[in-house]
Amino acid sequence: MTKFSRRQALAGMGALTAASTVRVRSAKAADPVNVWWTQGFYEQENKAVIDTMAAWEKSSGVKVNLTIMNGADLISKLIAAMQVGDVPDLVHSVTGDRFLVPKAAWDDNLVDVTDVVDTQKSEFHPTALDASQFYNAKLKKRSYYTVPIKCSTLMEEMWRPLVQEAGFDDKDIPTTQDAYYDFFQTVQDKLRGKGKRIYGLGFSMAAKEADAGTLFHAFLVAYGGAGIVLPNGKLNIDDPVVRKAATTALERLTTPYKKGYVPPGAINWGDVDNNNAFYAKQIVMTPNATISIAVAQMEKPDQYYKEILTTGIPNGNDGKPVPGILAVSPCLIPKGAKNIDGAKALLKSFIQPATLGNYIKETRARYLPVMLSTVKNDPYWTDPSDPHRPIAVQTGLVKPTIPWWMNYNPAYSGVMSEQIWSQAEANITQKNMTPEQATEEAVGRIKTIFERFQIT
Amino acid sequence: MSLARRARFDRIIAEAGIVLLSAVLIIWTIVPLYNMVRVSLQEKEDVLASSVFPTSVSLHSFYTALHEGYWLLKNFWGQMGNSLYIGITVAFLTLAIGTLTSFTISRMRIKHGWMLTNAALMTYMIPMSFLAIPFYSIMGKYGLLDNPIALIAVEVTFATPYAIFIFKQYGASIPHELDEAARIDGASPPQIFYRIYLPLMAPALVAIGTYALLLSWNEYLYAFLLLSSDSSITVPVGLGKFLNSDEAPWNYLMAAAIIYALPPMAIYYAFRRKMNSGLTMGGVKG
Repeated sequence: MTKFSRRQALAGMGALTAASTVRVRSAKAADPVNVWWTQGFYEQENKAVIDTMAAWEKSSGVKVNLTIMNGADLISKLIAAMQVGDVPDLVHSVTGDRFLVPKAAWDDNLVDVTDVVDTQKSEFHPTALDASQFYNAKLKKRSYYTVPIKCSTLMEEMWRPLVQEAGFDDKDIPTTQDAYYDFFQTVQDKLRGKGKRIYGLGFSMAAKEADAGTLFHAFLVAYGGAGIVLPNGKLNIDDPVVRKAATTALERLTTPYKKGYVPPGAINWGDVDNNNAFYAKQIVMTPNATISIAVAQMEKPDQYYKEILTTGIPNGNDGKPVPGILAVSPCLIPKGAKNIDGAKALLKSFIQPATLGNYIKETRARYLPVMLSTVKNDPYWTDPSDPHRPIAVQTGLVKPTIPWWMNYNPAYSGVMSEQIWSQAEANITQKNMTPEQATEEAVGRIKTIFERFQIT
Repeated sequence: MSLARRARFDRIIAEAGIVLLSAVLIIWTIVPLYNMVRVSLQEKEDVLASSVFPTSVSLHSFYTALHEGYWLLKNFWGQMGNSLYIGITVAFLTLAIGTLTSFTISRMRIKHGWMLTNAALMTYMIPMSFLAIPFYSIMGKYGLLDNPIALIAVEVTFATPYAIFIFKQYGASIPHELDEAARIDGASPPQIFYRIYLPLMAPALVAIGTYALLLSWNEYLYAFLLLSSDSSITVPVGLGKFLNSDEAPWNYLMAAAIIYALPPMAIYYAFRRKMNSGLTMGGVKG
């Protein structure tokens, strides 16, 4: 019998390991499309994705390895995957448009998906198209690096019985910015007069997660600061109109807090906490990124149809409509994906208007379609008996909207990640800075961030 | 005031202080657990109520979790099985590697063996989270992503240095004369290891085995990073999916979390005497 030395045995084991690794790697490089998808709020929402993928699998003969995961986990995992170069073929991330894609496109880490977008270009909402273009610093050009899937814009939710208890009716709610939010301070005063321990305004003001940033920027636009970053990517924060808008937005958000019209805990609220405070009837109203507060109560008809009132964002103080900032949840293909052709074919199939429309419907209008034909062709979206959905459609798809500024320059993604404006709010509420001082400090930091992202 | 009365007064004050401090600590520890139980005993619509006691007690959420009756709990028992498989394997491998290494270093008196113990402990100078990306990269290169082996390998890597340290310290309390006597009787090193070293190390084995099991049982960062599919994830990652929604059914989440906490609690109480002696022994021998 042949005897092996220890060295020979070790060498043999090494060769075996190497061989098995090669086998696994080559198997992974074959046909399947590996998809990471952000988990839905409802089982049916996930099921719509699973069914669509299964149908495509059947028609194309290409296997889809679908992994559905928590939104926050997906972003962390994708960042890890992109750093090590072992990425999925296709990703759907709900907040990717703001926190991941701009920098990844700038660094040339995403596949250009213009050919996919082009297949449905006439169908997509113009702002959704704008929100899918990003600047690639390596190629020095702007292009489509994401495919829009669903969208949302800031909405306002309030308890009708509490407004009535304060002696008002729906039609008493003002429609212009300052009067609108001041109204709920009056409601609080009246309810407190009746012995209720309640707050009029549910402003999210924490330097974490997304809601506080969404609210600040809605105020910024309402006071005329939409031009904070120009479409050519240049920072325009020294424009006196923008600077004044930022200061006014900070002042109008923090003064009610300091006067006791916002719950003290709001400076620590995560995205879910204003919803919870609303359900607990701790607050009369709250601005929210979607109509999720109402939708979550859909199975309680009294609350959904009678008690919870939804409005869009108020008009400007001049009475003119204020553009809503449209957040678009995208699909993307990371560079280094092994089956780019498969991913693109799958995406082209998924964004067929009927398929995409069916999927969005399963979100129960927490998210809006990115295609106007979906709204026109399906009465579900405009059903006049529904007190929330048509208002969300009006606000997000019919009234004027603008994309987030990281579409113009990824530096603004850094501004959002660092929560610069929420920090400014904290400087006013916690450190007694004036709105002007807080704005000045925020502007300094924003300029530093933009220095790293010069678009020539 | 006489000296005796003064001493009695001081003792009463000291005891009152101890009682007060203990009460604060007990409340501090119990309140989150109580809140967990309170929420699990309520219906979804009642969980946000600000009342200290449940308004209406119901075991519905436990029933739902046990029967996988909610869509986010559909593979709860499968995930529990994954947690158990990974936890037990990590504990077994940590014990095997730890005992063999400590035996080799301390009983076979390998030259410069102490360096291995110190080098292993130095790995704790780098926080676990800092190594997440490198580990993800390594597992990706070996084709082990979404494979429980990846998580087992990582957890064993983190548990082993502490295991070697404790075993080496604990092993120092076992007289070398026992080894010598066995050797005179003709025992080989493997026989000494199995028949003398391991039985005498029982308390340390229990302590470190439980430590390794709990380390992987509660792991979240590496579990979500290295595992993806519904069939391979562990319970913490599965429960993390509840936090995706702003209308999470907290009662189901808490009920599932309580069920998940039961096995380690049972293990702890079954072995707590041996655990205590195992963990404290290393501190006085060296």
